[in-house]
Amino acid sequence: MSLDYVKFTPGFEKFMPKEYRDMVDHGPFGKKVTVSQMGSFKEVLEEHPMCAGCAMTLFIRLAMIAFPNPEDTITVGTAGCGRLAISQAAVPFVYGNYGDQNGVASGLSRGLRLRFGDKPKDVVVMAGDGGTADIGFQQVVHSWFRHERFTTIMLDNEVYGNTGGQESGMTNRGAVLKMAPLGKKFDKMDMVSLAKLAGCAYVATVVPNNPRRVESVIKKAVLIAREVGSTYIQAYTSCNIEYAIPTDKVMEDAKTVENDRYAFSEYVSDEAKEYLAERYGYKEYLPKPAAAAAALPGKA
Amino acid sequence: MYLVADISVEICAAKNCKLCTQYCPEANTILYSDEMGKDKGFKYGSAYVAVDRCKGCAQCVWVCDNMAKNNAIKMIMIDQLPKAALTDNITYGEKSTTAVLASPVVG
Repeated sequence: MSLDYVKFTPGFEKFMPKEYRDMVDHGPFGKKVTVSQMGSFKEVLEEHPMCAGCAMTLFIRLAMIAFPNPEDTITVGTAGCGRLAISQAAVPFVYGNYGDQNGVASGLSRGLRLRFGDKPKDVVVMAGDGGTADIGFQQVVHSWFRHERFTTIMLDNEVYGNTGGQESGMTNRGAVLKMAPLGKKFDKMDMVSLAKLAGCAYVATVVPNNPRRVESVIKKAVLIAREVGSTYIQAYTSCNIEYAIPTDKVMEDAKTVENDRYAFSEYVSDEAKEYLAERYGYKEYLPKPAAAAAALPGKA
Repeated sequence: MYLVADISVEICAAKNCKLCTQYCPEANTILYSDEMGKDKGFKYGSAYVAVDRCKGCAQCVWVCDNMAKNNAIKMIMIDQLPKAALTDNITYGEKSTTAVLASPVVG
């Protein structure tokens, strides 16, 4: 949980694989990297068995770059496609049994605070729509109501993609899938409203066809979770296998879905805005000069 | 044989949009080299593909054609590429990478 874990053990450097040597020498650890520098530094994510053209993989790749301190971050996941890639990164990964990832993350986050005090150690949960909204629903919502300080990211592919295409709570009404041939009879769950109701300090919906926006959203969510409270990101990451999207049309689909039902939205609580502005210099959340003047006694 | 992405240095090095590096779902696959373009007299560097990591999804082709409108990337059978970048021959620098191109097909 520090830069020490990305160093060579003395005497072993020449025996390490090239990928590891590249990551130690040219990885993002201890530096500030952005998506505009992609292609010129070694990324923490390595080769993985995710399907070709998977939008979820792209989102995970962007997320790994967006972590403010990858050397001080632990990811928590559960069963589903996402963990196949998340676990193939040079960031410690904890595998929660199906559905208990937010319970595991709650304990982890509290334990890290006890052990390391004020030194920021980030816990980020990345799980699919099934793990978050169906099987893990109880632990997810309870962690939000307890204002546990970590980030929950839902990789929403709107289907159980890993097990043959069953409908999930996040599948849209009427969607016909291999294992839901009659079409879904209920509406997609409104997890964004639930997150706001439960008191999350930051809630955003995002589609990976805008890498800079994904980066910005993840950075804010992780930073806010350090001190203010729970944060939640819901990302549309299509399953090109179960929804039969040709791989070269995955970004076209993302754009269509963004315009149709997955528009970018961002909710930041007042406390979180103040925290981002004061602690991390986010200019957009600094008090407006006019508003500040109006707040002065006698000028209201 | 299978398809991999191939980026035209002549088109890419004249544009410098770098969008494909941001949209490839595979990490460390589409990389950027300053030398690749500038050594040939172009203003910018060029993106290139580490073909041993490419899964052939062609998402970069859609991004290059429709978002960047550069049409610089084509899918090509790997044995049709005389020389290509392979992970073992790629060196990372401070702000760019360098690739020694080699035959992608063994034997």
